[in-house]
Amino acid sequence: MTLAPHQTSVQPVDTVTVSVDGIEVRVPKGMLIIRVAELMGIEIPRFCDHPLLDPVAACRMCLIEIDGQGQPQPACAQTVTDGMVIKTQRTSELAKEAQEGVMEFLLLNHPLDCPVCDKGGECPLQNQAMTVGRPEARFDEKRRTFPKPINVSAQILLDRERCVSCARCTRFADQIAGDPMLELLERGAQQQVGIGPDAPFDSYYSGNTIQICPVGALTSSLYRFRSRPFDLVSTPTACEHCASGCALRTDVRRGVITRRLAWDDPEVNEDWNCDKGRFAFLYTADGRVETPLVREDGRLRVASWPEALDTAAHGLAAARGRAGVLTGGRLTREDAYAYAKFARLALGTNDIDFRNRVSGDEEAQFLASMVAGRRLGPTYSDLDHAPLVLLAGLETEDESPIIFLRLRKAVRSHGLRVQAISAVRTRSLDKLQASWWACQPGNEAWALRQIIDGPQGADALAGLRQPGAVILIGERLAGVPGALSAAAALADATGAKLGWVPRRAGERGALDAGALPGLLPGGRQVTDEGARAQVAAVWGVRSDVLPSRIGRSSSQVIAAIRSDAARADADSEPAVQALLVAGLDVEDSPEAGAFRQALDEVPFLVAVSTHHNEVTERADVVFPSAVVAEKAGGFTDWEGRVRSFGPAIRESSSVADGRILAMVADVMEVPFGTGDVASLRAELDSLTPSTVTRAAAPQVASSAAPTPESGYALLATWRLLLDRGRLQEGEPHLAATARPTEAVMSRATANSLGVANAATVTLSTARGSVTLPLAIGDVADGAVWAPLNSEGCALLGIGATYGSVVRVTGGAR
Amino acid sequence: MNPLTEQTRASMAEIIHRYPHKRSAIMPILHLAQSVQDEITPEGIAMVAEVLDLTTAEVNAVATFYTMYKRSPVGKHHIGICTNTLCALLGGDAVYDAVSERLGAGHNQTDVDGTFWLERIECQAACTHAPVMTVDWEFMDCQTPASAVEVIDRLARGEMVVSTRGPAIRDFQATEHTLAFPDDGLAGEGGEADAIMLAGLTVANQRGMSAPPATAQGA
Ligand code: SF4
Ligand code: SF4
Ligand code: FES
Ligand code: FES
Repeated sequence: MTLAPHQTSVQPVDTVTVSVDGIEVRVPKGMLIIRVAELMGIEIPRFCDHPLLDPVAACRMCLIEIDGQGQPQPACAQTVTDGMVIKTQRTSELAKEAQEGVMEFLLLNHPLDCPVCDKGGECPLQNQAMTVGRPEARFDEKRRTFPKPINVSAQILLDRERCVSCARCTRFADQIAGDPMLELLERGAQQQVGIGPDAPFDSYYSGNTIQICPVGALTSSLYRFRSRPFDLVSTPTACEHCASGCALRTDVRRGVITRRLAWDDPEVNEDWNCDKGRFAFLYTADGRVETPLVREDGRLRVASWPEALDTAAHGLAAARGRAGVLTGGRLTREDAYAYAKFARLALGTNDIDFRNRVSGDEEAQFLASMVAGRRLGPTYSDLDHAPLVLLAGLETEDESPIIFLRLRKAVRSHGLRVQAISAVRTRSLDKLQASWWACQPGNEAWALRQIIDGPQGADALAGLRQPGAVILIGERLAGVPGALSAAAALADATGAKLGWVPRRAGERGALDAGALPGLLPGGRQVTDEGARAQVAAVWGVRSDVLPSRIGRSSSQVIAAIRSDAARADADSEPAVQALLVAGLDVEDSPEAGAFRQALDEVPFLVAVSTHHNEVTERADVVFPSAVVAEKAGGFTDWEGRVRSFGPAIRESSSVADGRILAMVADVMEVPFGTGDVASLRAELDSLTPSTVTRAAAPQVASSAAPTPESGYALLATWRLLLDRGRLQEGEPHLAATARPTEAVMSRATANSLGVANAATVTLSTARGSVTLPLAIGDVADGAVWAPLNSEGCALLGIGATYGSVVRVTGGAR
Repeated sequence: MNPLTEQTRASMAEIIHRYPHKRSAIMPILHLAQSVQDEITPEGIAMVAEVLDLTTAEVNAVATFYTMYKRSPVGKHHIGICTNTLCALLGGDAVYDAVSERLGAGHNQTDVDGTFWLERIECQAACTHAPVMTVDWEFMDCQTPASAVEVIDRLARGEMVVSTRGPAIRDFQATEHTLAFPDDGLAGEGGEADAIMLAGLTVANQRGMSAPPATAQGA
């Protein structure tokens, strides 16, 4: 648990002198007694107290004596004043008796569930009953019981008789998550935690309540009765699900992950994480590639490692200079770096791209100029202290949930102002009390330019000029021509810090590692001779070994394969004869159809994959690789902070991608190194961050979104936090807490499309359609919002993405 | 049960206008919902949450905290009998027992046809006229078992009953409406404090008595 509020600025503070158990200390004025005691190493028992929640003094466990005050006082809610003489249970009979009394009272109705309770073995009630409780119970009446347990959501279960009414869960829901869907109900003897009628506690952060419940009253469907805490081997890990960078703890029992918890990292996720990070880990078990596979007579068959390595090495060597590498956004930074190095050394190409999503040249230049290989920042702590944060193309709750929590904390604690350029006034914007600038999808560049020189922009411009202001932009802006250029210009014009927030955990690391056509590790440009020399020195090769021409992006590689197949006469660009593909799902690509055909048509395809998927089924050689939990590595979060971890499942024999590439390189007789995580990490850390010359910021002119014809609308869309993402497979309870799949538009849009009375709407493109329930909400006029990749709504599959024009028709009510 | 209508929603909006913050209106708005439906239903909770921009859990928390909000139909009349200290000393339990027997209902139960809801209530600050009974929250002062049962009988026969303090008894839902709209002109009915209520003050004034000055410790 964290001890003190996170204040980084060093300012003189007013202090007071108090004595605790006869020891005098000087502490900052206004500190809570319980925190002062903690700092001194004196433990006062507590249940409701939590350093990140507002005090309530609900449980009365922390009673202590203060000289001059007749009754014992709650240490968790009283602040120190100068000269205060405090006595805890260690030196005060009054405090000791009061605590024993409270403990006895709390245990009156508490069931003897410890032997079957998830919390048993790590339970504050068990522990404190032993340390400060009376040895014998005097109560022999009938206890209050409740039917066990009730679902407060599909995932979270509540055993009401275990609850000590500390209000930690309800305060978390209200104060931290902003989802007050859990409350203390009834009054008096029947007091209990509960929800509204038919309104489950479907908060993205619901799992945190289980972790902070000081008893076993809240449990998860996923973990309930699965194991005892003392049977678990715990490893500090980092979350693989998004770029928020949560520190987690992964608990393993006999080689199987049983649960994941938020780990306390005051700089990043504090004590919290989101439900995806907590509950989505079952994907690690099913559908795995278990052995190397090699294609023979058109069919994949099991192969030995040496055979697979030989086949891959042979095929790739034959395509040297004419091979492409696609790595996706999920790799660890070390593995991404291994691909970046392998592409240059073993394949002699810069045709490498981690972006399996909407991307483009403007984005590549933006990243090269503003992000790649740069030092930490802006950071979470910058958000804590910012006077103003501008969001564009980023829905924080869905796309980077800890950013949302940190913004909300700053809004609550010091009135941070949040402004959002967004097509939708989302729930998170309301919870942040943000001002919403309605912006049609595709008009972000224009909106950002308006701030710089538009008539209405003056206010925002002044706000962003305040010291500490931050602009956060999402990866979605890559699809809006001119938006990244405008964001860079706005940051330049105001001095605001600019943060780029990718969605996937591995994107920033892959960028810093040089898995991009124009970049070597550390943001070095492939066209820069000096930069190539620096990298070559670390790699122990002559610098002319490194290809110097800017490579092709993923869509260019895909297009090249297809045109190669069509016409064998390669012009200036070499034909792509081989592909090396890692850790990505074809259906995540905005051009999935072309991608599939390219995979079919490329003469030689090597897949390194944890799971069987559309790539492995088309590959000539498949290598099984380790999932995150089975290996060491690191992710770089959106701040640029490296989040290293060791293997959680230590009994696994799976091999990480970096090591596989080293083995292939070895057969190819390419100097690559051993590819173990420590040496990859050491090399990468010597190359990034760097202070090399960077590309200039892009200067693409902004253009306006098209005006849809009658019957059509602009599509606003992104991935909901909980959706049909591959890594969420196998957890139905989690999926059941997802937000509804629906199409949302303004009343005016619905009227003009003639669907105002429709129960459902159908969104269609030339490639297909989806039909969804219609909801009316705050969406920019002329636009319709729908989730990008939810059950029954896989928009990429019909060729629709952010900013697409879709046809909208109404279904009968 | 009556449905909640657009009319209800409009009345709720009217109540909200009285307060600087929407959510402050939750108590009278719950009474309004109860005046329409004779209880707080899930439908009522949903509408209150919607008009106040609260979650249904938050509304549920308030609706289950205060005992004046009921979660099953009250019936035509709410009968409260005080059994706190002073009323108890002066026979409140006997009054309660007699009414309970008459209705065949216990605490927080209704009689068999659902016309009367019986409840032991806490001190109504009417101890001067103990033991007290309330009918739809109007006072029936200085009750005896016989007088209380007679009130029930008359209500059951549909006869007019008047509170010992003046106002005519209407029914539970009408009272709930007054609680939602205390400015309906009825709230002041029932007169001023009478001589018994002011007896202590009168004696103090006669003898020149006053409260001792407050001390630092005395708070
Ligand atoms: S469920 Fe747990 S966290 Fe919530 S009030 Fe009860 S004891 Fe506290
Ligand atoms: S917020 Fe992101 S990093 Fe944190 S637990 Fe959730 S998915 Fe993982
Ligand atoms: S910890 Fe102080 S009252 Fe609960
Ligand atoms: S005790 Fe009954 S009114 Fe006070």
